Amino acid sequence: MEFFANLHMAFSIAAQPENLFFCFLGVLIGTLVGVLPGLGPVATISLLLPSTFHITPVAALIMLGGIFYGAMYGGSTTSILVNIPGEAASVVTCLDGYQMARKGRAGPALGISAFGSFIAGTMAVILIMLIAPPLANLALKFGPPEYFTLMFLGLTVLTYLASGSMVKALMMACVGIFLGTIGTDTISGLERFTYHSYTLMDGLGLVPVIMGLFGISEVLFNIDEQATKREVFQTRISNLLPTREDWRVSLFPMIRGSLIGFFLGILPGGGAVIASFGAYALEKRISKHPEKFGTGAIEGVAAPESANNAASQGAFIPLLTLGIPANVVMAILLGAILMHGIKPGPLLMKQHADVFWGVIGSMYIGNVMLLILNLPLIGIWVRILKIPYPILFPLILLFCLIGSYSLNNNVVEVAIMILFGIVGFLMKKFEYEGAPMILAFVLSPLMENALRQSLIMSHGSFTIFVTRPIALFFFAGAIFLLVSPLIPGLKKRPQRGEIG
Amino acid sequence: MKKYDQLSSLVWLAFAFYIGIESLRLPLGSWRDPGPGFLPLGAGIGLAILSLTVFSQARFRTEERTRQGWYSQERWKSLLVILGVLFGYALFLDFLGFLVSTFLLLVMLFRLVEPQRWVVAIGGSALASIASYIIFEVWLKTQLPKGIFGI
Repeated sequence: MEFFANLHMAFSIAAQPENLFFCFLGVLIGTLVGVLPGLGPVATISLLLPSTFHITPVAALIMLGGIFYGAMYGGSTTSILVNIPGEAASVVTCLDGYQMARKGRAGPALGISAFGSFIAGTMAVILIMLIAPPLANLALKFGPPEYFTLMFLGLTVLTYLASGSMVKALMMACVGIFLGTIGTDTISGLERFTYHSYTLMDGLGLVPVIMGLFGISEVLFNIDEQATKREVFQTRISNLLPTREDWRVSLFPMIRGSLIGFFLGILPGGGAVIASFGAYALEKRISKHPEKFGTGAIEGVAAPESANNAASQGAFIPLLTLGIPANVVMAILLGAILMHGIKPGPLLMKQHADVFWGVIGSMYIGNVMLLILNLPLIGIWVRILKIPYPILFPLILLFCLIGSYSLNNNVVEVAIMILFGIVGFLMKKFEYEGAPMILAFVLSPLMENALRQSLIMSHGSFTIFVTRPIALFFFAGAIFLLVSPLIPGLKKRPQRGEIG
Repeated sequence: MKKYDQLSSLVWLAFAFYIGIESLRLPLGSWRDPGPGFLPLGAGIGLAILSLTVFSQARFRTEERTRQGWYSQERWKSLLVILGVLFGYALFLDFLGFLVSTFLLLVMLFRLVEPQRWVVAIGGSALASIASYIIFEVWLKTQLPKGIFGI
């Protein structure tokens, strides 16, 4: 019965006019940035973060969350029509989606990805309702050693699944941990690496670092690679509704994709990108016609599009129940929750039930809005895609500048952002990934506290991480992932760049 | 990529040394009660070991993936222009105020990288700066700098 009581609470909060409005705004902005290459959900959410101070925490989270899963919808549109993924989780959709468009089936491809996302979103919301409460109860038993090993596992998973070299990804995690220690140490009160700068005393700001690494660097990279010219596939998009045959072929891939996506989304370090690749690889492996993949197979669109949507919603579970962000976007949302004076974690569900259930209810409503929004508005999205990059990039830069400035009205933070833009650009050039750095940066203060408290508890003995069963479980998992590439005979680790 | 990996790993190694040296100036504490220098030192040591790994992996790698050079004078001109304009914006924002500096920023970005027609550059910049002013200052109540012109 508790399930239905929760369901009722979720919808009654999410359906309040203010929350409905911000949910709509979120998914609309999300779809827009998903469509626009070069401006992803990460930069957008950090940009809008300061403006959410004026609204309630529930409305803020509903809007920012909406941007995230809305971008997953929007991203597929560009993958299918232009062969350019609007954001990383739609990369794999290009393979079959664009081929379908070339064969004059852009309509059904767009249609199935919208329906797939909707079905996945629905399944994810139900699964969240079933899993989150018991998980939060379990998490109440967690002490500092469990939290430390869980975060350690999360970072390891992210580096393990990095698209390039795992060693490089681990390096970036180390850099992120260091960046997270800049500022005043919360335990001793000593300043670390601040050089008496007032701005740095509170630590490096998340928003300028992220907007630099993901916003500014992306613009610099696009201009440098001259990836500024793109052609929109000239086709009349008619008949968005998939045929009965399309449905027959896509239904199970959608369900499988949703399940894979959801569970990969929960895993700290997992996330939508890996989920979409995983779902595609699975469908290709179990298909009776694997040779059709890459030539316009509709399953190749349905599965990854369902997976990335389910993953983006599943990722809310570790954030809301454990207070640990599973990916970069969740890390920014963690920052947003903290700025509103709410501490995410196992007690969130009890102390701020409205926040927890309101956000979950809004995801379902958001999915309905996206379905209604996406299908009739595709024509507008295509027109937006035609905006030339030389017009677009100054506006993206302007958004980043305003975003980094308006957080604290501090020009130094603008300079920090530009600096991280340069660092991010060079990292892209030399093939270092930004995601492990950001996740480590956000987790660093939490990890440090958990580590120091654990060692104080154990009087300096590291065995505390292997003598408590839950901590041992997380720790063993992390160590396994770290050493597995070194063990000969073990299957090569999966990489995002490889499919099937 | 071999050369790039060697070069970049050495840069990270130098950064690791910086982290290590600066961390040692902070109290390290003990295993029983780790101090503020403990975690940064650990991160620095980790980064150093990993950088050396990347360096040696690249050193003994035989295959050489050919790829576009990371530096080319012509392409880098646009990048330097953009970075210069951005830093200039940060420098003059408080002095000139949001509207004026944003307008100038956009005109330069529209004109200097891939030159748009003047009508587009000036009209677009005016429109975008006023629109962003209305969205952020009036609607979202963000406190944007007023500058010497009071706008």
